[in-house]
Amino acid sequence: MNSVSRGAKSLESAVSICLLALLFLIGVGVFIKQFDFDMSRFGIDTTTAGLPSTYTAGEPDLSSLVPDGFKEFSEPETYSPDNLYEKINGKAPLYIESGFVKLFTQRFISKDDESLWMELFVYDMANTRNAFSVYSVQRRADADILSLFHPSFGYRTDNALYFIHGKYYIESVGSSESAQLFKAMTEIARKITRELAVDKVTEIAELSLFPDENAVIGSAKLYLADAFGFDGLTDTFVRQYKLGDETITAFLSKRSDATDAEVVAASYLNFLIENGAKTKKAANKNLEGKVLDFYNTTEIVLSTGPFVVGIHEAENQHSAEELAIKLIDKLNKAAKKSKE
Amino acid sequence: MTEQNDKNLGRREFLGRAGKAGISIAAAGVISWRLYDREEPKTGVDAESLVTLPDFQVPRKDGQTMSIVKGSDRVKTVNKAIELLGGIERFVKAGETVAIKPNVAFASPPMLGATANPELIAEVVRLCYKAGAKRVYVTDNPINDPASCFTLSGIGKAASQAGAKVILPKDHLFRHTTLARGKLIRNWPIFSEPFMAVDKFIGITPVKHHHRAGASMTMKNWYGLLGGRRNVFHQDINTIIAELSMMVRPTLVLLDGTEVMMTNGPTGGSLSDLTRANTLVASTDCVAADSYGCTLLDLRVSDLPYLGKAERAGAGTTNYEVLKPVFGTV
Repeated sequence: MNSVSRGAKSLESAVSICLLALLFLIGVGVFIKQFDFDMSRFGIDTTTAGLPSTYTAGEPDLSSLVPDGFKEFSEPETYSPDNLYEKINGKAPLYIESGFVKLFTQRFISKDDESLWMELFVYDMANTRNAFSVYSVQRRADADILSLFHPSFGYRTDNALYFIHGKYYIESVGSSESAQLFKAMTEIARKITRELAVDKVTEIAELSLFPDENAVIGSAKLYLADAFGFDGLTDTFVRQYKLGDETITAFLSKRSDATDAEVVAASYLNFLIENGAKTKKAANKNLEGKVLDFYNTTEIVLSTGPFVVGIHEAENQHSAEELAIKLIDKLNKAAKKSKE
Repeated sequence: MTEQNDKNLGRREFLGRAGKAGISIAAAGVISWRLYDREEPKTGVDAESLVTLPDFQVPRKDGQTMSIVKGSDRVKTVNKAIELLGGIERFVKAGETVAIKPNVAFASPPMLGATANPELIAEVVRLCYKAGAKRVYVTDNPINDPASCFTLSGIGKAASQAGAKVILPKDHLFRHTTLARGKLIRNWPIFSEPFMAVDKFIGITPVKHHHRAGASMTMKNWYGLLGGRRNVFHQDINTIIAELSMMVRPTLVLLDGTEVMMTNGPTGGSLSDLTRANTLVASTDCVAADSYGCTLLDLRVSDLPYLGKAERAGAGTTNYEVLKPVFGTV
């Protein structure tokens, strides 16, 4: 009876192996075949995309924003994620990966001087964090702060104005450096902030968690993904500090809980070490094991509560540690305050 | 013991079930085999109507493949750069027709550097006529509305005033192409007709940062020849740029690094995105020109994978120094 049972088991095994092998071969076949995917043949229309999408109620009407002394220079247009590339080409992925919903654009031209025109871009980014992210990662270094905006949410350059308003990221780009254009851009910005309805502006809480002392005004940025090239570092805020001649970057990323923060901090430390960083002795014992030398710059990475925090590419270890301790202190105080 | 396994499944029952499963698999296989369409889907374009862009290259001259000229005046630098390669007569003969393909991607003012410089284009048009060209066309298939792009960039006016005919893209000017050894450019519409009957083909483009590709230079300029929903290629941007370098064999390319868009490309938007590098490159090798262009953007060749791909495909060399570029200053 045992021999019959053994025979049956052998047969069962053989049939099972055959079936598994068949499934494996099918899998291999599908895997190989997918490399032959031909975009021109399967499912993609090679004609150009449809017309820009249309307005719906409650959305910004740019034609109502024509400034004094200017007139409409183009029809208002809207773009969706499907055709945003038609307007901004290779920059479209930056917006789409940051939650882009819709773009509204229109050009206005001076009634007196046809060389003076501007284009208004109003990006609906779904929420304030997304809007702040695309705004901040594109922020020009030599920007001028305007009293019209909070320093972290708006600036101007010689020919353009950039700001966020609720879920909207807004650009006014002028055809040249011109006082008349700048005045018109400012007028549009005032109208938008006054008249364009947005949900209650969402507070970006992380921005207030950075120390203010020595902070570079307007330097805060939000990387929604892949901060510093590490894919585990999402929703990461950075802020720059001027310490003597050196500019140092501090960062923080709020995770789901303290355990998650520990895991992400450890992963990022390992990522740096795998890429050539070496642990070095910390002057502050609280930072022992968290300070790395990365090609003659100092990196500090640790977790505190639900936050991953650190310093990125500092030239001076002492300044880096000092700033890291200030950042940790501020986070701890904020945590204590929220418990009270 | 009976003929049962540990889970009380009888041998007979097991074989019955296995048989049914086998029959089911076989039936599915037979049905799939019968339903399998061995013919490729019809695209409305047969092989005979596919188009291939002509080879516009001129015979190579050692030591005159690439010139790099420093100076802030584009009219002077382009004249010098072409002179160092043997003069415009090397590239354009009397009675020939020339197509110039500038980067006119955006409806953007010229001072923002998102498009090719109008003065530079006008000077190249004039040089072509000076060499005896019968006709010069200036054309591109921009991202934005073509008429707005040519108007607001100043390129339409500058080219027309210099005597060129500006051609805006229309549906009838596109034909499908398939690139030999191409993975992406297969049965894809390209803006081909303006180039099919001309003798020479010159590309003109600014040096720009590009959010997706890393940089937009002479090879990325050919992206403007693609029709259809070309944004699908952004998913494999390095391969498509390398394939474009295989598809287009220009007479000459001019890489304008007088002002370089260092950040926020390819659209830019602020004057502060630009840095003056006062450099103009003329080359018959797009890969070499772009490899040098990297240095203007503080990039290395390895930062732009499409350069290596194009080199491996035989489109040119990333080691531009072996070409012994001729340097000049004006």
